Amino acid sequence: MKTESYSYEHIGETMHVYSHSSGLKTYVIPKKGYLKKYATFGTYYGSINSEFIIPGEDSPVKVPDGIAHFLEHKLFEQKDGSIMDKFSALGARPNAYTGSNQTVYLFSCTDRFHENFQLLLDFVQNPYITDESVEKEKDIIEQEIRMYEDDPGWRSYFNLLGAFYSRNPVRIDIAGTVESIRQINREMLMKCYDTFYHPSNMVIMVVGDVDYQKVFEQVEQSIRHKESRGEIKRIFPEEPESLNKKYVEQKLAVSVPLFKMGFKDNRTGLKGAEALMQEVGVKILLEMIMGRSSSLYTRLYEEGLINNTFAFSFTNEENYAFSAFGGESPDPEKVRDIFVESMEELYRSGLDEKTFERIRKSSTGKFIRQWNSVERICDSFINAYFKGATIFDYFDVYDKITFEYVNELFSGHFNLDNLALSVIKP
Amino acid sequence: MKTAAQEEKLIRVSSQKGVNVYYIETDKFKTNTINVFFHDELSRERATLNALLPAVLRRGTEKLPTQQDIALFLEEQYGAVFDCYVDKKGERQIMLFHMAYIADKYTGRDTKLFDNVFGLLFDIITAPALRNGCFREDYTAQEKENLRRLIEGRINEKDRYAIERCYEEMCSNEPFGIYEYGCVEDIEKITPDILYRHYAKFLEELPVDVFLSGSFTDEEINRVVQKFGEMKRGFWKNIDAGGIYRRPDVIKEVTEKLDVNQSKLSLGFRTNTAPSDIDYHALMVYNSILGGGIHSKLFRNVREKEGLAYYVFSMLESFKGLMLVTCGIDGKNKNRTIDLVKAQMDEIKNGVISDHEINSSKMYLENVIRSMRDNQFQTVSFYLNQVIAGTNDDFDDLIGKVNAVTKQEVSELGNKIFLDTIYFLTTKDGREEI
Repeated sequence: MKTESYSYEHIGETMHVYSHSSGLKTYVIPKKGYLKKYATFGTYYGSINSEFIIPGEDSPVKVPDGIAHFLEHKLFEQKDGSIMDKFSALGARPNAYTGSNQTVYLFSCTDRFHENFQLLLDFVQNPYITDESVEKEKDIIEQEIRMYEDDPGWRSYFNLLGAFYSRNPVRIDIAGTVESIRQINREMLMKCYDTFYHPSNMVIMVVGDVDYQKVFEQVEQSIRHKESRGEIKRIFPEEPESLNKKYVEQKLAVSVPLFKMGFKDNRTGLKGAEALMQEVGVKILLEMIMGRSSSLYTRLYEEGLINNTFAFSFTNEENYAFSAFGGESPDPEKVRDIFVESMEELYRSGLDEKTFERIRKSSTGKFIRQWNSVERICDSFINAYFKGATIFDYFDVYDKITFEYVNELFSGHFNLDNLALSVIKP
Repeated sequence: MKTAAQEEKLIRVSSQKGVNVYYIETDKFKTNTINVFFHDELSRERATLNALLPAVLRRGTEKLPTQQDIALFLEEQYGAVFDCYVDKKGERQIMLFHMAYIADKYTGRDTKLFDNVFGLLFDIITAPALRNGCFREDYTAQEKENLRRLIEGRINEKDRYAIERCYEEMCSNEPFGIYEYGCVEDIEKITPDILYRHYAKFLEELPVDVFLSGSFTDEEINRVVQKFGEMKRGFWKNIDAGGIYRRPDVIKEVTEKLDVNQSKLSLGFRTNTAPSDIDYHALMVYNSILGGGIHSKLFRNVREKEGLAYYVFSMLESFKGLMLVTCGIDGKNKNRTIDLVKAQMDEIKNGVISDHEINSSKMYLENVIRSMRDNQFQTVSFYLNQVIAGTNDDFDDLIGKVNAVTKQEVSELGNKIFLDTIYFLTTKDGREEI
């Protein structure tokens, strides 16, 4: 059995890796003294993958929006009933989530880890989907979609993506639409399953006080596919570099307007440590420009234009990247105008190196704090993994990132031509 | 053998003049946290003042007079995090001042962060930025506006809104019906002077619990005890738990119409059970069988079997003896859903509880309780709840009591649970059945 181990002494964490013949990798980060064990089984398949070519075939397949998420719901059903009953009989809490790029199945437990882990390995590999259960699930998912339609934070986010992208499928809500899910049938679900749930497209991550050798043995015995498989061709429409729209607005039952604003970033497709470097770099820049210690935040706050709900993030994936920042505001357009004004000032004056050093230090501290939580470790691990890196690579990134590099990112990312604003109004 | 640091045990370090200092020693986290809780009775007179106060205090201290100064200072401390929260537990309003910072052994440098971060936390609470011996006019005005928006902004999150509104309607004649952040109508009349006079009483009279979690030296713990010991304290009050036992005469029905896509239904119940009651653990199991977890009757029937909702669950407000069932549904299914919830509760009362249901519920609760120990803040909250309820259980005690509950005890408990209020948030075009 081929295994490797990596240690990061400085914060007292170790990671063990096992590579299965199918191409599946399993990672274990043992957390001594933790009672909770958290295991995830993820596939590099999310809501954006609605057009693809199955390995070994020539012609592309197109499926309805929301199918990855639909499949996530249906996988919990097994031949002998719901897998949820089996997990709850063992005292575990199973769950799953679908993102734009990934679908992740997970459970947490404090007892009988290996039995629960076996359930996870088995149910993700054994779909049991009937026409009848597909029809019933449509009602439940419709309610889920309705719930998100009323969520102003969620809506402002997807409206912003719609402002950035005219064709990239990331602009479509993860669960699809009430209309698109009505078209889904068993055959389509199975086609997606067979394409994207091959172990070579997946990863397993376990965090908790577990015996990693035993985890690896269980994986070796339970993974049915023994051989690796050819690449899945993922098809995306050609996306123009420019914005789809500069401004989008929607009315919802809210008391104060909400906004999200951000930059569409055309520097995509970075892999491995380079992708992490870009992510950390832009996040440091956002913190420098609009973090709690910035003059811009102070001004907007004191003028009553933003409040404590103000937050920012940066996302970079294979074929899209963008920053997003916002919160509640009585006048989002004024926030944008002040932001633009202060960006123009910053282009003239340049970034401050001392501020960079201070933010780098505090960001490192925040990264270390993530290691308190088994869930945070897993989420951030999976996110990094599908970019071709691991969570351990971040340490190096925080150590090595330079002011010069961040300056270079600054002129690339903060391009006012690519700034869009999405507003939810009462 | 296990050391104290592996068990997350609670130690009371000191208790003087209504200020208790507790230490939860643990070495498994990367951070140390300091949590200062001020307790007050939930009252219309003081709720808004109590909620506004931390927001003004955090704006600046004598030494660091702006929030920008504070933010810069925190960044220098390896990204230490300061925050304030206002909460209610039963008819008790709680104001928390929280600080988390990287433990020195993980900064990779020869640091001693405690002095700086505790110094700042203590200053925020006791040495605010003042002008002419009073809170600053500008800070007070800005935070009043922020508070107003926060209270009005509750409507933005419909799931939570439907829960809070149900509680409010249910307890409209009891202190519990007051929102923990106060009332918009009470904000206007607050001046810096009124707030400052309230602040003096806040510091002198409210009971305080300080929880340290992580790895602290004796010297550091002593410093916390000493600094809080130096605070000027007068008479400090005892907090009344509020009324728990109640059997409603009529079921109150409230419908609110908003421009929404999904209707929310919340049912509020009186459990007539306090956390210190002998059958409280049966209530915990009851709640889990009914709607706490994927094994629950509500999840299996309302969602999985009938497909009426994506989310449906029940929850306890232990300190007020309330239970609430909430879900997101299509408005036309309101009555069908209510009947289904009632049918599940009747089953429990009639002893229709499978082995799977009770065993899964107990294991679920055990998992939840044990998992709290892996989260610094949840561990602190757990012990705070024990202190408030006067139960003094540790994690294993509580698990033991939950596991001892029998089906019969759960069924019997069902006889004390009464529906009080039906709250329904629905679309303006209202496709509600009559």
